[in-house]
Amino acid sequence: MLARVAANFYWMGRYLERTEHTARLLRYQLSGLVDAPADEIALGWRVVYRTLDQPAPSAPADADEAEVFLIADAYTLAGSLVEDYTNPDSMISCWGKARENAKQLRPQLPLQVWTCLNQGFLWLRDCEFPAAWRVAPAQLVSEGIDRLHLLAGVIHVIMPRDDAWQFLELGRFVERFQHQAALLDNWDRIGCLTDHKPRLSWADLLRVCSAYELYCRRHTMTVRRAEVLDFMIRDPEVPRSLRFAVHRIENLLQGIDPLGNRHPMAPPHRMALRLAALVEANVGGLVPVGAGGPERGQLEEGIFDQLAGDANTFHDLVISAYVDYPVAEGLPQ
Amino acid sequence: MSRVNLDVNLAAVAGMVTVISVLGSILERTDLFAILNGAIAGLGVITAGPSIVGGKWAIVIGAVSMLICTVGLKILERAHIDDGLDASVAASGMFTHYHLDSRFFDELFRENGIPRAVCRSLSEALVRIHADELVRIQDSVHRHFVHEGITFTTLGKKEVSEQIIPIDCVPRILTAAEWAHIEAGIKQRLRAINLFLRDIYHEGHSLRDGVVPLDLVLGCPQYRVEMRGVRVPHDIYVAIGGTDVVRTDEGFMVLEDNMRVPSGVSYMLACRAAIKRVLPTLYREHRVHEVSSYPERLYSTLVSLSSAVGTPRVAVLTPGRYNSAYYEHAFLAGEMGVDLVEGRDLVVHNAAVYARTASGLRRIDVIYRRKDDDFTDPVIFREDSMLGAAGLFHAYRAGNVVMANAPGTGVADDKAVYAFIPDIIRYFLGEEPILANVDTHLCRTPDGLAFTLDNLQDLVVKEVGGSGGYGMLVGPQSTAPEREAYAARLRADPDNFISQPVLPLSRAACFVDGSLQPRHVDVRPFTLCGGSGQEVVPGGLCRVALQKGSLVVNSSQGGGCKDLWVLKA
Repeated sequence: MLARVAANFYWMGRYLERTEHTARLLRYQLSGLVDAPADEIALGWRVVYRTLDQPAPSAPADADEAEVFLIADAYTLAGSLVEDYTNPDSMISCWGKARENAKQLRPQLPLQVWTCLNQGFLWLRDCEFPAAWRVAPAQLVSEGIDRLHLLAGVIHVIMPRDDAWQFLELGRFVERFQHQAALLDNWDRIGCLTDHKPRLSWADLLRVCSAYELYCRRHTMTVRRAEVLDFMIRDPEVPRSLRFAVHRIENLLQGIDPLGNRHPMAPPHRMALRLAALVEANVGGLVPVGAGGPERGQLEEGIFDQLAGDANTFHDLVISAYVDYPVAEGLPQ
Repeated sequence: MSRVNLDVNLAAVAGMVTVISVLGSILERTDLFAILNGAIAGLGVITAGPSIVGGKWAIVIGAVSMLICTVGLKILERAHIDDGLDASVAASGMFTHYHLDSRFFDELFRENGIPRAVCRSLSEALVRIHADELVRIQDSVHRHFVHEGITFTTLGKKEVSEQIIPIDCVPRILTAAEWAHIEAGIKQRLRAINLFLRDIYHEGHSLRDGVVPLDLVLGCPQYRVEMRGVRVPHDIYVAIGGTDVVRTDEGFMVLEDNMRVPSGVSYMLACRAAIKRVLPTLYREHRVHEVSSYPERLYSTLVSLSSAVGTPRVAVLTPGRYNSAYYEHAFLAGEMGVDLVEGRDLVVHNAAVYARTASGLRRIDVIYRRKDDDFTDPVIFREDSMLGAAGLFHAYRAGNVVMANAPGTGVADDKAVYAFIPDIIRYFLGEEPILANVDTHLCRTPDGLAFTLDNLQDLVVKEVGGSGGYGMLVGPQSTAPEREAYAARLRADPDNFISQPVLPLSRAACFVDGSLQPRHVDVRPFTLCGGSGQEVVPGGLCRVALQKGSLVVNSSQGGGCKDLWVLKA
């Protein structure tokens, strides 16, 4: 596979995942508009924007101010994340970039995959956000997520498990790893400060990650911070846990470039192993503070920053190993 | 007298009843037209002697005459010979707005409004169909193109936009005999062009003998001096050609040769796929030549040009996704199962070409080049181009990679050289051209320039290196200031222009604004020339000038396309 094509698949996977990530956060926020307290919604917007690494809207002075600007703010903030082409994290932006990458993959991409992706993009492009807003804003985003899941299903069923698929999935899980780390970090640091009102619910975090039901089966319906963090970092069966993502990354790298074949213990492999070790070693997890037990404990200082930094490095290593490698290295022996 | 009237009417009724009761299976239809034909047959035969036969014999005569008439009709229909007595469908049903014009050959109807034999069942189907149904079909085709992203790209000042080429759902039909004529003409033309190109880059006999003026060829911007003496596999310079063919009252003629990077074949294939889906029964009835194997044939042609050991590795070289024909490049690469590469994907090392893959560099043996010479290799051609691969031409000269089409084939595209193609055919093949050229006046000659300037309002003037309908003047549709401005350009650089009469392009039925209307059409068949011979794909990109009265069929000028059905013999 051409190096440029591999990069296109990788980026297509990343952008599709990013679209879904934005949509999941939006769905949570827009669903809350119906009955959540105004100050909690305002806090939610701050977490959403910080998770996307964008400037967070300023916090309202009090609950009354939050109430006054609730709808106007929500319309602006949601609109920016749905239909604003200039916002790099908006759904239309990310979906459009995934489509641009897919366009360059037409010879390799099965027609059904392209058609599904293209139809989804055209649907979103032609949606009238103001009109959807007047009816049921969350429904628009939910339909977007459904279409992304349909696309994921088509990819799963149609695409052969060759290099193209491996790079696509690699991009998807690198993106997921970074975003989940950012989400957990911001939910914990901004959304759920102990002894502070308002606070976001940990159950809602699980719902954002489609992990609430599984959590209840594993634990109880009583949702505890420590258990949620442990669950979302270390559980190998939760598709949006960090451990799940890093294991997928390891497996995919093995498929793309088996160890000892071209790069004996190549830099990307080493970094993937390091990420896995970091996730598993720290998930023990919470350092107790005082006598409050794990529930009042803290994560190791800077752990999420470290995970994010390593994930960025991993991305650079993938690009330099498979896309932008020096010509001399690639010549046939 | 009353007996005579009775016998005449009995014969007519017998003819009608025969059609209804007996002949349905032979005629494969028992509609009003067939029943009326039955009555006419009975009446026609009994007229000779209604007074000398009895009522019983009048019935027999009516029935038998209808039998004979029907068998005759069937024979005429099979032979695609027009039936003068057949009922007219023009100006009925969906054809209410279909106005015939004696100045233009109509692909569907004869001058008197009677369908041509080859189009009879198509015209009958169109009469029967409801406008809403055609709207649904047209909409279905359009949506299919949108969802599958069958688009061409246009570059604006600030943005890149994707456009759907307008598709008309009514097919154009050519008989086997018509196609055989076109095919033979194109093959002859391509043979001569390849010999001509070899000659101008080697011995130059035709230039010495004055077949084509030396200064015209050497002064042509598409002449590549770097190609002098280069050995081209099988002497095939043009491996993939596109020839624009038009029909007038005088028959088929070649309007233009596209010998550099002919495009449009993907629209031909997409159009066919869409029409087969929405008009399956009609398609099956017509016994149409298939075109879907084009990618396979293209791949075989490309492979046949290589002398690499084992299976040659083929790639399609594209300028990138902003090129207007990018969809086509991606489509062909995908269908052939080969890589779609850009210049930045290629590396030349030791005069061999490699593609940069995720697992190292991989050798490439054949490149199907979908970009102009200028953008192929910045070392040899345009040094400011970012689209090429440095050293590619060096590898080509060394014989380590095949490029199709070869660099320098643009000479045969030149509209001034076009005027000499009939002479080139006579010189190299010793044959008369099968397909005629359009009369062309070269503005580089004093007579040609004077004639053109004196008749600007009646002529089409084109730049010799132009394409896509850009930079041309259509005299009858121009204003006086436009003609004055164009005349100034002509006088300033006469070598750059040719002029031709305004051709009365034939018209075909198109579904426009809710009804069927005639629009001007041309067709671009595609020819493949490989190591094992030539092949013209039985079909082509049938382009339509969708604007009423327009003669410009280019998609960049508001043209669309429709499916072309070439019938089997």
